[in-house]
Amino acid sequence: MTFRNTGWLLAGTVALTVAALIPSAAGQETPAGGLGGPPRGQFVRGGRGNRLPAGPTPRLPENPLLGVNSGKPDFGGKGMWQVPYIIDMQKQGRTPEGGTIEVPFNPAAKKVFDQRTETNSKDDPEGFCLPPGVPRMMYTPYPTQIYQLADRILFIYEGGAHVWRLIWMDGRKHPPDPNPTFLGDAIGHWEGDTLVVDTVGFNDRTWLDAAGHPHGEKLHVIERYTRTDSNTLRVEATIDDPDYYTKPWTVVTTATWAPGQELLEYICQENNRDLQHLVGK
Amino acid sequence: MTKKSSWIVAGLLVAAAPAFAHHSFAAEYDNNKPLKVTGTVTKVEWQNPHARFYVDVKDDAGKVTNWEFELGSPNGLMRRGWTRNSLKVGDTITVTGYQAKDGTSLGNARTVNLADGRKVFAGSTDDGGPTQ
Repeated sequence: MTFRNTGWLLAGTVALTVAALIPSAAGQETPAGGLGGPPRGQFVRGGRGNRLPAGPTPRLPENPLLGVNSGKPDFGGKGMWQVPYIIDMQKQGRTPEGGTIEVPFNPAAKKVFDQRTETNSKDDPEGFCLPPGVPRMMYTPYPTQIYQLADRILFIYEGGAHVWRLIWMDGRKHPPDPNPTFLGDAIGHWEGDTLVVDTVGFNDRTWLDAAGHPHGEKLHVIERYTRTDSNTLRVEATIDDPDYYTKPWTVVTTATWAPGQELLEYICQENNRDLQHLVGK
Repeated sequence: MTKKSSWIVAGLLVAAAPAFAHHSFAAEYDNNKPLKVTGTVTKVEWQNPHARFYVDVKDDAGKVTNWEFELGSPNGLMRRGWTRNSLKVGDTITVTGYQAKDGTSLGNARTVNLADGRKVFAGSTDDGGPTQ
């Protein structure tokens, strides 16, 4: 990727990240009458935007019907999580201590990553409307909602397209030889107010991010989700793949609560016209 | 405008859910090939992963080329108040954007203005590309 492309990509990234963090004044560009106008009911928009001031972490009530989620932080509500656009997890993520991530590539992984950079990520599986995988579901900017049930947690995700991710919390272990899938086999438990998710059983058909950090079937991801206040979901992901990285490495990002907003249907496959135009250079 | 506020303005303009399919602006479009065309809308495809519209553009010699433009996902556009009826066949519009690297009559639309200057699809754009 040329410097100029990288510069624009970074500008776009910073801009998108900034946009995700600040109230949207795009509401002031409400289309004039005759152009359609803002849809009512389903959307909350306009003025200073959708953000409410941050409050304390919402909690589910103590109730045996909520099983493992009884009394735990509430990751849901009438709204949705806006997932930021993390093009490059190394550049846009942080270590848990807030520092710069150093990716412990092995030579094979670096080669793959460099090839993807040089070809402008044209082979990105997301371009084929395939699911983003994990943790990339929290790096591809389609919103998600999290539903907490008695013995499991369900992520429903607008992108990827229109996929769900089920996290079992009934104490089960991973199957001994899981069939490789895009989103893996996920089991979870609470550590205090942090949801810890352990996922294995990935196929090798996803990229860890749009920049193309690679992984294979040995990928093991441990995520830690914490709703630090009413507006913020802290997303920590530890990537462990001995075929590509010399040791595990951890990326921290966030997602932002959009009150009143809802997921829309997104069927990526319906009119995918770009593939024929993707050029490597 | 201070540096910080210009970032914020840029952020407002680039606040979007980029289309899922095709994540690399740079793989498809050339930000060294800006374009600006004026013409008549012939078709609107309000579909994922990118809303698309087509414009008949007449050159100085009178030859008409049908240009294809893409925007972000309709979902992102709808969240900003635009609908499938915001642009109509027959509208005369001016589009600025960036041309496809493969040389076809395809562009990534950054701004769309009606003849009276009103903006259509403002406040949304595609992934990774330059801000206006």
